[in-house]
Amino acid sequence: MQPIYDPRGVVSAETKALAPRVRSLDGLRLAVLDNTKWNANKLLREVRDRLQGGHALGAVSYYRKESFSRFAAPELVARIRAENDIALTAIGD
Amino acid sequence: MHDAIGLETLGVPTAVIVTTAFVHEARMQREALGMKSIVPVVIDHPLSSLSDEEIRGRAAQALGQVIGVWHGTQADPP
Amino acid sequence: MSAQLATPAATQVPEGTDLVEWYYERGFSDGLPVVPPTPTKLAAMLEALGGDPEKIETRVPPRWGCLTREVLAVNMVMAGCKPEYAPVVRAAMLALCEPAFNLNGVQATTHMCSPLLVVNGPVARKIGMNGGCNAFGSGNRANATIGRAIRLVLLNVGGGWPGDLDKATLGHPGKYTYAVAENEALGLLAPYHVEKGFKADDSTVFVMAAEPPHSVTNHVANDPQGILDSICSAMSTIAHNNAVSSGHCAVVLGPEHAASIAKHGWKREDIRNYLWMNSGNKFGALAFNHRYGKVYNRSLPVWYKRELDSHIPIVPSAQHIHLFVIGGDAGRFSAFIPGWGHMSSPVLREIEGHAGAAQSSARCIDGTCYL
Repeated sequence: MQPIYDPRGVVSAETKALAPRVRSLDGLRLAVLDNTKWNANKLLREVRDRLQGGHALGAVSYYRKESFSRFAAPELVARIRAENDIALTAIGD
Repeated sequence: MHDAIGLETLGVPTAVIVTTAFVHEARMQREALGMKSIVPVVIDHPLSSLSDEEIRGRAAQALGQVIGVWHGTQADPP
Repeated sequence: MSAQLATPAATQVPEGTDLVEWYYERGFSDGLPVVPPTPTKLAAMLEALGGDPEKIETRVPPRWGCLTREVLAVNMVMAGCKPEYAPVVRAAMLALCEPAFNLNGVQATTHMCSPLLVVNGPVARKIGMNGGCNAFGSGNRANATIGRAIRLVLLNVGGGWPGDLDKATLGHPGKYTYAVAENEALGLLAPYHVEKGFKADDSTVFVMAAEPPHSVTNHVANDPQGILDSICSAMSTIAHNNAVSSGHCAVVLGPEHAASIAKHGWKREDIRNYLWMNSGNKFGALAFNHRYGKVYNRSLPVWYKRELDSHIPIVPSAQHIHLFVIGGDAGRFSAFIPGWGHMSSPVLREIEGHAGAAQSSARCIDGTCYL
């Protein structure tokens, strides 16, 4: 017998829980996070307008990432959390 | 995915929209980042080259899924 | 709680199994045959890495696989590395996984970029890297296998498989290997790492997401301006990614060109400033004269004027041009190496265990620390 080796290494991550789901959107503060990729803004605005048309959201705030490719800055994420109850983000393409 | 998972971890239910070409990567990322149960909203690829009319179509495609993600009723993409 | 880590299960296959084919069939190859690891080779590689096989050096995106020392050793042996290359490969992987580099983006992008590695300092000569004739080509084991080991890690541990998480439309040959040393022996200009604040006898790795080199021929000029004008010409196109996505780029001076420039007393800063000042595009060319509508390119800095005849630099400053002297003695050629864009910053990092005699100095990320 001769040994063979797996060059991939394991993927191990702490399991994180989802945030609790919501029953109604009424009165909730919505964050719209634009990752600035092409047409993300247009798509998000269309979805936002439809949401506002069909639900009594408490507030809607719009945020943009500094760079479409990098992860959002921790300060931006913290600010979004502090000011909102639900979030919508795009686009992964 | 990374940003959405960051927000969910802080307690904010987040609907993240990806195109069909990106679903595999989204699955890899949520697994690698430890949040297998986050459900993406999926629209047809592409988005970047679409007209305004076509973008409105994608928004219509996304709307129900977005609300479903926040309610917890949206199924994982097949 | 994090999942329990395990070293890669060393399973067994029957004697007489074609191991080269076995690794191919498992999908662990970059397309070329790999060297099947053996316990002896792995032990030697691990020792060179400092032992402790389960120690996690870093996690590699976009799969975020754990790069333990053992897994790094496996990939290095597969690439054909000698144990003495280990500090260089490790330093390169740590540099690539710095958040500023954005390896996640570099791996996944539709752009063809691949990490370019340039090694400075005594370690390059010690392990026999090539910074001279045909440095970007083949024929040198250190260059070939160090670059290859990095790519195998990016594939196997990082999951950056073409058509899967690596969406590059075209790719380029640097995705097999893209590692060189600077030609410091010629002493024509100060070495790159010294310009950035390290001591000459420190050894460093520089990584940048890069397109292939674009050859620049000039067999006519014997002064800085003529030579650099040819390089400016190669830079001044709307086709490469810096033109539309900003960021960093590299310029390689071949020794004949470098000698002519150095003879006129020009220093690194003079060269980079001249290149920056005399290269660029007209905004109208980048915007196709609004033929497709007026579109605001957010990738370019806000302070660029967006009028049709505005001058748009290739990169935002001379500090965004990373200058190296590389190549053989004969031939009046240099090269322009475009980068990916503002989405990734180059990283310069010391190679551990290879600091110079005195206390090692600055660590520079994004190439802006400058003496």
